[in-house]
Amino acid sequence: MLISMRWLGRHVDLSGVDPEQLALDLTLSTAEVEGVERFAPYLSDVVVGHVLEREKHPDADKLCICKLDVGTGESLQIVCGAPNVAAGQRVAVATVGTVLPGDFKIKKSKIRGVHSVGMICSERELGLSDEHDGIWVLPGEPTTGAPVAEALGIDDWVLEIDNKSLTHRPDLWGHRGVAREVAAILDRPLLPLDTSLPELGGADPVKVLVESPACSRYIGLSIDGVGEGKTPDWMRCMLLATGQRPIDLLVDLSNFVMGDLGQPNHTFDRDQLARDGILVREAREGETLVTLDEVERKLRPADLLICSGDKAVALAGIMGGQDSKVQQGTGRLLLEVACFEPVPVRRTSARLGLRTDSSARFEKHLDPTLPLKAAGHFARLLQEFQPDVTFPASLADAGDWSDPACEVALNPDQVRRSLGVGISDEEMSALLSSIDFGVQANEKGLMVSVPSNRATKDIAIEMDLIEEVGRLYRYGNIPERHLTGALVPPPVDHRRELAESCRDLLAGGARFHETLSYSFQSDALHQMLGLDGESYVSVINPVQEGSARIRRQVLPSLLGLLEPNRRQRDEVRLFEIGKGYLPEQVSDRGEPGEVHELALVLCKARQSDTSFDEGCLARLMAVVQDLLSSLEFRELQFVAVEQAPVSWVHPVRRVELRVGSGDGACVGFVAELDPGLATPLGIDGELVSDTAVASISLDALLEQERSGGSYNPLPRYPGFKIDVAIVAPEEVPARDLSGVIEKAGKGNAKDLVVFDLFRGDQLGAGRRSLAYHLVLQSDKKTLTDKDAQSFLRRLERGLGEIGAELRS
Amino acid sequence: MDKQTNLENAQARIAEASDQAVLADLERELLGRDGLLGQQLKEIPSLPPPERGPAGRAANELKAALTAGLLARAAELAETDLAADREGIGFDATLPAPPVERGSLHPITKVTRKLVQIFSSMGYHILDGPEVELDWYNFEALNIPADHPARDSQDTFYCDEQGRLVLRTHTSPVQVRAMERMAPPFRLVCPGKVFRHENTDATHEHTFHQMEGLVVGKDISVGHLVGTMKTLLRGIFGKEIDVRLRPGHFPFVEPGFELDARCVFCESGCRVCKGTCWIELLPCGLVHPKVLEAAGIDSSEWSGFAFGLGLSRLAMLSHGIDDVRHLLGGDLRFLEQFSC
Repeated sequence: MLISMRWLGRHVDLSGVDPEQLALDLTLSTAEVEGVERFAPYLSDVVVGHVLEREKHPDADKLCICKLDVGTGESLQIVCGAPNVAAGQRVAVATVGTVLPGDFKIKKSKIRGVHSVGMICSERELGLSDEHDGIWVLPGEPTTGAPVAEALGIDDWVLEIDNKSLTHRPDLWGHRGVAREVAAILDRPLLPLDTSLPELGGADPVKVLVESPACSRYIGLSIDGVGEGKTPDWMRCMLLATGQRPIDLLVDLSNFVMGDLGQPNHTFDRDQLARDGILVREAREGETLVTLDEVERKLRPADLLICSGDKAVALAGIMGGQDSKVQQGTGRLLLEVACFEPVPVRRTSARLGLRTDSSARFEKHLDPTLPLKAAGHFARLLQEFQPDVTFPASLADAGDWSDPACEVALNPDQVRRSLGVGISDEEMSALLSSIDFGVQANEKGLMVSVPSNRATKDIAIEMDLIEEVGRLYRYGNIPERHLTGALVPPPVDHRRELAESCRDLLAGGARFHETLSYSFQSDALHQMLGLDGESYVSVINPVQEGSARIRRQVLPSLLGLLEPNRRQRDEVRLFEIGKGYLPEQVSDRGEPGEVHELALVLCKARQSDTSFDEGCLARLMAVVQDLLSSLEFRELQFVAVEQAPVSWVHPVRRVELRVGSGDGACVGFVAELDPGLATPLGIDGELVSDTAVASISLDALLEQERSGGSYNPLPRYPGFKIDVAIVAPEEVPARDLSGVIEKAGKGNAKDLVVFDLFRGDQLGAGRRSLAYHLVLQSDKKTLTDKDAQSFLRRLERGLGEIGAELRS
Repeated sequence: MDKQTNLENAQARIAEASDQAVLADLERELLGRDGLLGQQLKEIPSLPPPERGPAGRAANELKAALTAGLLARAAELAETDLAADREGIGFDATLPAPPVERGSLHPITKVTRKLVQIFSSMGYHILDGPEVELDWYNFEALNIPADHPARDSQDTFYCDEQGRLVLRTHTSPVQVRAMERMAPPFRLVCPGKVFRHENTDATHEHTFHQMEGLVVGKDISVGHLVGTMKTLLRGIFGKEIDVRLRPGHFPFVEPGFELDARCVFCESGCRVCKGTCWIELLPCGLVHPKVLEAAGIDSSEWSGFAFGLGLSRLAMLSHGIDDVRHLLGGDLRFLEQFSC
């Protein structure tokens, strides 16, 4: 919301107040001021010129040559095209060098052969209005040569207050409310404002019938004898400063009253109203109304209407109807000043996407005593500008409302305890009184009378009053204190601990990069992966069509990152620890099941001659193996199983990850992507890659025991390293070969590592060679060459039993 | 050739041995079976008995002389090698090997850890809560009743037409869940992912991270809140940071504040603080009595403060990240810039 300092000055003396300081004061005590700007700075650059003479341009019918006095001692010659310029006028002159709105710089020029040094400005050229039929003739006799802003007294500063900081303060949606705060901050009096109704005639008021509780009060004031007239410049400038474009006297006055008191209001042409008067009712199914912005609005029964007779003429509290617009020259008016309930106004304006200055205020819950004051204010201002207006009828005042003013007890000790500062009873009473709260001391403490303007949706309990005292005392004056109390170590969160260890191991040892992704997964991704049939938690109002689903699993979120990252890097190593939601595992209270997952991808540009230990799947298995053994999980196994863990991985190159004794418990999987996904994922052609993925359930891991890392005594006897190469049929798994080696070693074959895989014609078709490093070492004696020989003999025998042999 | 000449020749060859390998060959030749010494030893049995003793002694002397010569030359050569090595020929300090591959932790993880460490050291519990949340915890129990503007579908992702399930719009529901389970006094923080219905651009994101904090105890005051926040900022930025509290309205606190921190990037206004020298850092306040009561805590006996830290915002501030979309974008060129 924009606040004009000149406007505020109508309510509190602001002499000597620096705009920046005022903004800071309001920010610290009341509401955040987001900006401070000078109003129409160009009005300080244009000067008052006195038109000395005007003569026709010799070579142009529509142009004239003016001689002006701009206070410099010599007259200026300006060629002007405006029909209304005349000798004797005071006008706004932009001299050479002045920059006008739109970055328009005034230069010396020659117009049809005549020199011109400056420009006489229209209102539009100064950004004051759309008026461009002629130049702006300044009112009165302002000082020649003075800046226009200063000479007319329209010099102003504008404070922009963050609307979000005003949501609970309906009283601050008008200048008087802000002025009350300023008066309290500056310790200056709030100037009186007469908002009493002027003298009313005795005719019957317009009939008003309120059918809906959504309208708590409806005031109708009949006004006669309204003539045409221009809004005074000071008011137009204040409206402009606060972002309201001046239109005509009635609209401007209506906007001014709203900007002054925060109370929206509306005028109707009384001659156009039905004989039955005004009816406030809810809309009927299928009813429509064309609003002032010329849009036809389809209404619903919850929408509140102002009707003339039964015909809708305005959307209550939001916008008037096009048909009932008051035309210039309408002499007989009905001023509506009403109080509408916030929720229906908000619902209707949100549904129609129609937020107005009026609806924004009603949404905040306006004070129902305010309409009467606003009606009086409107009437008195109108009378000031047009002394001939009369108010022929008594006031129509309908609706079921009550004064919200209330009393709230305040315990001064509680104030001191909550704020943590030793503020005296007297100090707090003075602070509350400064914003027009009534304070009475009694035996229990203080009894505070909250005025109606602060009692709607704002002040209701003691803590609310403590806030008032605190903010006016200034939170900055409260000293810093430290918490005290018993220190009990918080319980260990095992899942967090596990997740943090995984992060350290993966980012540190395995050199993976942690990413975090959106919880939404797109329908397109699910279709690609064949996951469309699953059930999902979905939002009903997605930001983007087709992105409503909340993920069940984290891993698919990483697949979309492969293509863009592969464009930049030959190798992509990513992991994420996140949550998934399963709607079928719903709790009694309706919460979906939550799963915690570690997802990994390893994707690398495909190479023709990858050695066995450089393949992505083998590498990712090694990463997972290292991770889980570092975390001290026991008896890790990779098992090839029939049942695919998810539908979108390679039908063969995939393993289940098991932890624990016996068959172990499944905690996840490692797999290559199904080769058919390369093209849809965009990792084909020049980006052709090998991709392995892994998903590990943190929930399943947490159910497994961890060894706690017990110490093994150091070997007492030396061991020796030997290498063996084994040729075996392809179908014999490496696990069987290592089993044979371990058996042949009788517990003395240690540190078994495969270091080569070889296939070749010399081995024969369907056979491969695996080479191992191992250490023979006993904890009972020093092994000798003889022991090695018998190990190799046992190994040869064992290999023979499974169709394998030692390679010589 | 007499023995003396042989020995002199051998000593000369030892002295000329150009490196350790040549010296090793020479050692084998001189001390071996067919070498100078070997020949002398071989002659001994064929000598008349009285000469055998002196010949044996002579052979031993020869052996000692040769061995000493070899050792001395070996030491000389070793010294030369070391000296040569120390010359460091060919070293180019500007020619590194290919870089060591690295991994990284997400900046949100890093800032969360920093905060968790600070709060853990002050006895706070670290709690987790669901991202898909019941309306009760996200709104109702936090004094945000039906028809409150914060519940607009322009701000909130709803998971069902009845509005029972939402994507949590803040981490505050975790404090309610905690209050239900725990008996005061307690201190806790809850980091996590939150969602707002918003179109994304460089400064807006529909998914971001927050950390809620809650302290409930006896006579908790605004002064305690200020003290805690200053301690927190000292921990994050490693120096004394000025803060200011100003009024701010949030339905679940009363009084409510916005806490601004003095801009750490400038002295007189910059892009980050939009020229104000203050950075709006976190909303906070004393817990609204209705919120305590909704969680079953007697508000006449207990009071507390709560605060909400923007983890995404802090991560952006501490690393100078200019576009919020990078955080969840998964671009390695971004992620790689953070260490682990």
